[in-house]
Amino acid sequence: MTANVSLQSVSHSFGSFQALNDINLEFSAGEFVVLLGPSGCGKSTLLFILGGFLTPTSGQVLIGGRDMSRVAAKDRPTTTVFQDYALFPHMTLRDNVAFGLRMRGLGKAKRCLKADEILDLVGLVDKASRKPHELSGGQRQRVALARALAVEPEVLLLDEPLGALDLKLRRQMQEELKAIQRKIGTTFVHVTHDQEEAMAIADRIAVMNHGKVEHAAPPEEVYLRPKTLFSANFMGDLNMIPERFMGRPAGANIVHAARPENIGTSGDISLGDATLEDAAFFGTYHRCHFRAADADRTAYVAHLPVGALPQIGEAVPLYASKPLTLGTEV
Amino acid sequence: MTMERQEKQRSFGFVAPALIWTCAFFIVPFVVMLLLSLAHLEGREIVQSFDLGNYVKIFTEPSLLKGIFVSLEITLTVTVISVLLAWPLAWIIATQVPERYQRLAIMLAVLPFWTSYVVRSYAWALVLGQNGVVMQSLIGIGILDEPIQIMATRGATVIGFVHFFVMLLTLTIYSNLIQLSPNYARAAADLGANGWNTFRLVILPLTLPGIMTGAFLTFVLCIGDYITPQILGGNNELTMPQLIMLQLGRRGDFPMASALSVVLMVLVTLAYAASSRWLKMERV
Amino acid sequence: MRALGWAYMTAIFIFIFLPVVVLVLFSFQDSRLPVPPFDGPTLKWYAEVLADRGMMEALRNSLVVALISASAALLLGFFAAQGLARVRLPGSILMRGLLIAPMTVSYLIIALGLLTVFNTLGFRPSLWTTGIGHVVINLPLCFAILFAAMGDHQKNAERAARDLGASDMQVLFLVTAPMLKPALLAAFFLSVTFSWDEFIIAFLLTRFDVTLPVEIWSMLRSGLSPATNAIGSLVFLVSIVILILLELIVFRKSKS
Repeated sequence: MTANVSLQSVSHSFGSFQALNDINLEFSAGEFVVLLGPSGCGKSTLLFILGGFLTPTSGQVLIGGRDMSRVAAKDRPTTTVFQDYALFPHMTLRDNVAFGLRMRGLGKAKRCLKADEILDLVGLVDKASRKPHELSGGQRQRVALARALAVEPEVLLLDEPLGALDLKLRRQMQEELKAIQRKIGTTFVHVTHDQEEAMAIADRIAVMNHGKVEHAAPPEEVYLRPKTLFSANFMGDLNMIPERFMGRPAGANIVHAARPENIGTSGDISLGDATLEDAAFFGTYHRCHFRAADADRTAYVAHLPVGALPQIGEAVPLYASKPLTLGTEV
Repeated sequence: MTMERQEKQRSFGFVAPALIWTCAFFIVPFVVMLLLSLAHLEGREIVQSFDLGNYVKIFTEPSLLKGIFVSLEITLTVTVISVLLAWPLAWIIATQVPERYQRLAIMLAVLPFWTSYVVRSYAWALVLGQNGVVMQSLIGIGILDEPIQIMATRGATVIGFVHFFVMLLTLTIYSNLIQLSPNYARAAADLGANGWNTFRLVILPLTLPGIMTGAFLTFVLCIGDYITPQILGGNNELTMPQLIMLQLGRRGDFPMASALSVVLMVLVTLAYAASSRWLKMERV
Repeated sequence: MRALGWAYMTAIFIFIFLPVVVLVLFSFQDSRLPVPPFDGPTLKWYAEVLADRGMMEALRNSLVVALISASAALLLGFFAAQGLARVRLPGSILMRGLLIAPMTVSYLIIALGLLTVFNTLGFRPSLWTTGIGHVVINLPLCFAILFAAMGDHQKNAERAARDLGASDMQVLFLVTAPMLKPALLAAFFLSVTFSWDEFIIAFLLTRFDVTLPVEIWSMLRSGLSPATNAIGSLVFLVSIVILILLELIVFRKSKS
């Protein structure tokens, strides 16, 4: 089961606080979408509006072409994996996973069979009779996923589902999530503040800030050709290029910048001489901190290829290539 | 290893005074009472006979046996009514009242807790009496023609108790409710549960610890209370604490009073066993 | 649904406040019976109660017993919680159970047990024996509150203090007690109110010097009187003042 999602001029405010400001987004059926942004950017509010836990102050939510703006959570073709999982502690894993089917009036034998099937998909069928408190964090996360998938939603919503896990488990779960999504083809909308996680799993990333969508595009595009300064900064390290090196006057609200891997001892745009102040070895590159020799004393971060490291304190001519043109406002 | 042992010895030194106190003034008196319950009265003298005469008497003499049933009936009635009244109140405060007013609402809900226990029963006697506010208002608006007797009945005892325990239970259930993540209700709705099913299958089971903790406290305090039935219930039917006080006052029959107390404690222990799997006494 | 909720809450609040309102209102009653119709207001019953030497002495006795017994219970409970929270002792579950046990026993039974023991030993009932009884009922409360408040966070701070050369007592009074201040104050004030309001132990274990609830009890035997309303309202007022102090001192501070 899968469906496309369309958000049309969705706004939401809590009292005087404008949490979402005129959101327009289209997700295709079967897409893995990640809403990415710092805390307080409105991404969780947007997810709750999709799930039916909040009614937007204005605008429309369409799922599979049907207007869902005023439809209650229990009647929507969406299910949510909550940040704290919200597994029912007094029920076994099987009863947790079968809960949605029970609410749909499925008989006990049938729903248990189905629950076990889904638990098998997440590799926990052997623990079906356990209670949630007997599980590890990663296992609980899987049960929450299984419970949400058991009712075959058209759109699955995930609210920072990996936030409570340690780094290694997180990376592993990202791959599993991606694999499960590929297998069942359901539209996934996943909220996170971790840009690496977003890059790892998304078909499309919507970068959000202050209740607005800054950029919505596939990961490569958001990283390589970001539209705004904010999304460029959020997706990775950035060096601002002073306008005088660009050789042409900048427009209003426009800045130029380059990723660390595009700063080096050769390239298209000369940045003048800079002194290497500090460097660290990262296996495939040296991460170097330079400081310009001119009056501005601009700081640069560059990733230099292994073996091409100047001496600390040495001044070398620095160049930027593939400069990014970024808007400072949406 | 020696460091650890030293540490343990010192820790034990910290616990010892409280343990000694509890043993001297709680365990020893209890053992003395237990022994005393096996004695009997000859004239005004207590004679230790190590027999179960008092217990046999409790379970054969109708006036004493009735006390057990009166106490159990009142206590169970009070516990059930109090839970039924307190749960919705706690839920309304936890979910319908804006968050910043919740603390105030709870403080108000338990405010009469802080009147003197004796005075509270007295106040109910004022309210429920023939000339009290309730009767006068009911006659005033024409529901009754003349006052009906509530004071000195079981009804008055139950009302007095329920008043006290609704406050207590509201507190325990409320503190249970606000610890629940709002995502439980969301998850249930998300999976298609309507309001009734969300309540029945998710929220109610999750508040069982709060309910059972409060219900157990209600049971213990209610079954052992002397004042409320004495002031409000009168002397038509006597509860166990009233019977115990009667043994002490009228005849100085300490052995019988002790035996009744032991029976009372057994009842409480049974109630504890029945509710223990949900209790978290450390949290009280 | 929402309206129904508010209606229900209002109804229960009326039920909860009815006796308190009646109590306070008819303490200002001018005639001799505290029942409708209300014909006050007057302060004469307060004057009468405050001039009653027996009543004032009982009030003083209650305060003294409450303060001393609460302090003793707090101290014993604090040491016990500290000892049991710090290391796992053999039988620590048993000890915890023993310390909590009096909480599950009716005050009447505790009083009766103490009365028989004191009788056997030939101790006369007095404020002291009442105080002992009140420590027995408040010790489990203090212990439970403080034990629950002692967490890993605080254990680490104690370890750090000991590492920096503090002695056991210095750790206890310079690190543990300040960190537990809200819990200590809460336990102390709760104990004070419980002791202050306790009837049955005081009734059985005092004779000539009595505490306030016992004095009020003997007043009840002479029938309904606005004077009883007045003393009841005064006691309520004192408890509310303690409660507000507690709220202001303990909880405001612990929040900031």
